[in-house]
Amino acid sequence: MVEKYRHLYVVVELDAGKLIPVSKEMIGEAKRLMDGFNQKYSSNEKVVAIVLGSNIKDLSKELIEFGADAVIYCDHPQLQEMRNVIYTKVICQIAINKKIGGQIEPQYAQDFKRPRYMFFAADSIGRHLSSTVLAGLNSGLASDINQLVIEDIEMSHQQKTAGKKETYEKTLEMYRPDFSGFLWTTILCLDNRNPAFKRDYHPQACSIIPGVFEPLEQDSKREGQIIEFVPRIDQRDLRVKVLSREIIESEVDFDTPRTIVSFGRGIKDDPEQNIKLIENLAKELNAEIGVTLPMSKKPYSISQMLDSKYMIPDRVIGTSGHKTSAMLYIAAGVSGAMQHVWGMKDSGFVVAINPDEDAPIKDECDVFIKGRMEDVIPLLIEEIKKQIQIVQVR
Amino acid sequence: MFNSINLQLFLLTLSEECFSNFVMGQLNVAVIIKLEPDFSEGNVSYNPDGTLNRAETKNTLGPHSAIAAHAAFFGRVMYDAKVSIGTMGPPIADLALQQAQQISDAEELHLYSDRLFAGADTLGTAEVLRVGIEKMQEKMDIVFSGHRASDGETGQTGPQTAWKLGFTFLGNVISYSVDLETRMVRAKRLISLQGSPSVIEEVEAPLPVFISIDPTYKSSYNTVSQRLAFQKYQKEATQRADNYKEYFKMFNAKELGVAESIIGLPGSPTIVYKVERVPKSTATRKAEVVNGSDLQQLQKVVGKIKEALEAMVIK
Repeated sequence: MVEKYRHLYVVVELDAGKLIPVSKEMIGEAKRLMDGFNQKYSSNEKVVAIVLGSNIKDLSKELIEFGADAVIYCDHPQLQEMRNVIYTKVICQIAINKKIGGQIEPQYAQDFKRPRYMFFAADSIGRHLSSTVLAGLNSGLASDINQLVIEDIEMSHQQKTAGKKETYEKTLEMYRPDFSGFLWTTILCLDNRNPAFKRDYHPQACSIIPGVFEPLEQDSKREGQIIEFVPRIDQRDLRVKVLSREIIESEVDFDTPRTIVSFGRGIKDDPEQNIKLIENLAKELNAEIGVTLPMSKKPYSISQMLDSKYMIPDRVIGTSGHKTSAMLYIAAGVSGAMQHVWGMKDSGFVVAINPDEDAPIKDECDVFIKGRMEDVIPLLIEEIKKQIQIVQVR
Repeated sequence: MFNSINLQLFLLTLSEECFSNFVMGQLNVAVIIKLEPDFSEGNVSYNPDGTLNRAETKNTLGPHSAIAAHAAFFGRVMYDAKVSIGTMGPPIADLALQQAQQISDAEELHLYSDRLFAGADTLGTAEVLRVGIEKMQEKMDIVFSGHRASDGETGQTGPQTAWKLGFTFLGNVISYSVDLETRMVRAKRLISLQGSPSVIEEVEAPLPVFISIDPTYKSSYNTVSQRLAFQKYQKEATQRADNYKEYFKMFNAKELGVAESIIGLPGSPTIVYKVERVPKSTATRKAEVVNGSDLQQLQKVVGKIKEALEAMVIK
């Protein structure tokens, strides 16, 4: 059988010339998936890492040690800074390069057209890069994925198959949590087999939420292919100039393990006053304040000061925000959607304040204080004042 | 009546102004927006299981679209830009166009609406928006989009539209300025990567560009003349939005002239295969349930909090 689409290409990301954690996580998940794939289909498709930058050749070995079967690196001074247009062009060149396909697997050199699957990171760089690359390749992309399965799928679809039953082999099921965190949507990227609109849609691509998958243990004995790609660079694609880069200290710090007080829709009866209560509680405990994702959508009309300070994406704890391993985590008025739980479950001691004993957060906390935050927090503050001398850890 | 010398002087100043306008060049900006569920309390409705009740939830201009419209209005105030707005959606999406006009003082409102567009993923949507933007009165210098929609949350439509337009894409922009003489834009971008401190990167690029606006974007008007212009155009925006139909045009697939095979469902590589409730994870902790009005019990809780904090100090 002719195999036009082979392998899983993973576009890795760097910061200051080093692989960022999500790069290793993507390679790890890719390896796990493709090991299963090769076993299931008695095949030998590879995990191929793509790395762009300047003076980055040495990263190839590291990528192999983390699980890549092959690395395509593109080392060019103009790729030192990540700029969308030139990066998109080069990655598209790599994806449709038959010669590289042939280098990875000589026996398929004639047939190879494009990768079967592609991974990107769902962060400030990868979200946009994946979008433009897939627009360039005219194929499908699912964003912010936290689970992946490869299966043969039998289905009939009005549009894709003109209502006929068809089997889509080796289909990547891409799971993404919706904003509420209660629903999981599975996205598929499928060729149009409908005779009216016949068209191939490959690669099947997604962006992966950082921190979700585990990287493999680094193994210096692992071997793989290293392939250099020399890009065609058009001066017109270099029109963006990076003038300066300034590192900013975030006002919000969830990384230093300490105390976090977070709130969610439970503040709704009196958002303004409740946020002030939470501020007071956080002050007593020298805690950082976190929010659930729905809070960052600014659902309440509250004073501009509180709104711009707290109802922001930077404070979100969960899959679309931060992951914390605080020593003490207090969740006030947080229902406990999967989204949020993922971001706080590694915390030490967890206290939840919630009037609803059926809320999922109950299964994720050590102490569940049943009650409205309006009633509970003032009592807690009083008690903390009596029992605890402010503990300074910073 | 002007006497002839005054008239000549007047015409001279007028032509000088025209001339300088011609040299400096006009700035044309477009915004792509989206009608979305209104997540504000009182308008949003959730099912008992915590999912969004779409039937009961009202619709409005998406919050990120609104920020993009503010960025376009900044161009209106600072550079006297002409603003156009485009959206793909059902006929009721004219509401979002009107809301965005109120923010941006736009003088052209486009709604792309057709059953053929329905069910499109981001690629199929981007194609419609590309054709729509190219159909606008002026050739665009900057196109703005919001960071992501609040319901779909993919954030892909903006960059994919940029790619199809062939515009330089600048993402996560928190502020920008334009040099009308050199036709260059300068923008600050906020980049946050996992495990690294955030970085503000300043970039420069020639027009045309496509800018996706970061949620933290803020327009700042510092001088008196800027604030006066702000007030003037804000007033104009209100007047225009009151009569938004005058600026409004609706296009179907045929009127737009889009190719049927690359829009709507045929032009969408991806489908939603299934939607399921996230399986309830097995309890990771066994919670001790405490009555929130029982002071004695709360005292014990604080005792435990104290222990947790002390463990922290020793560490």
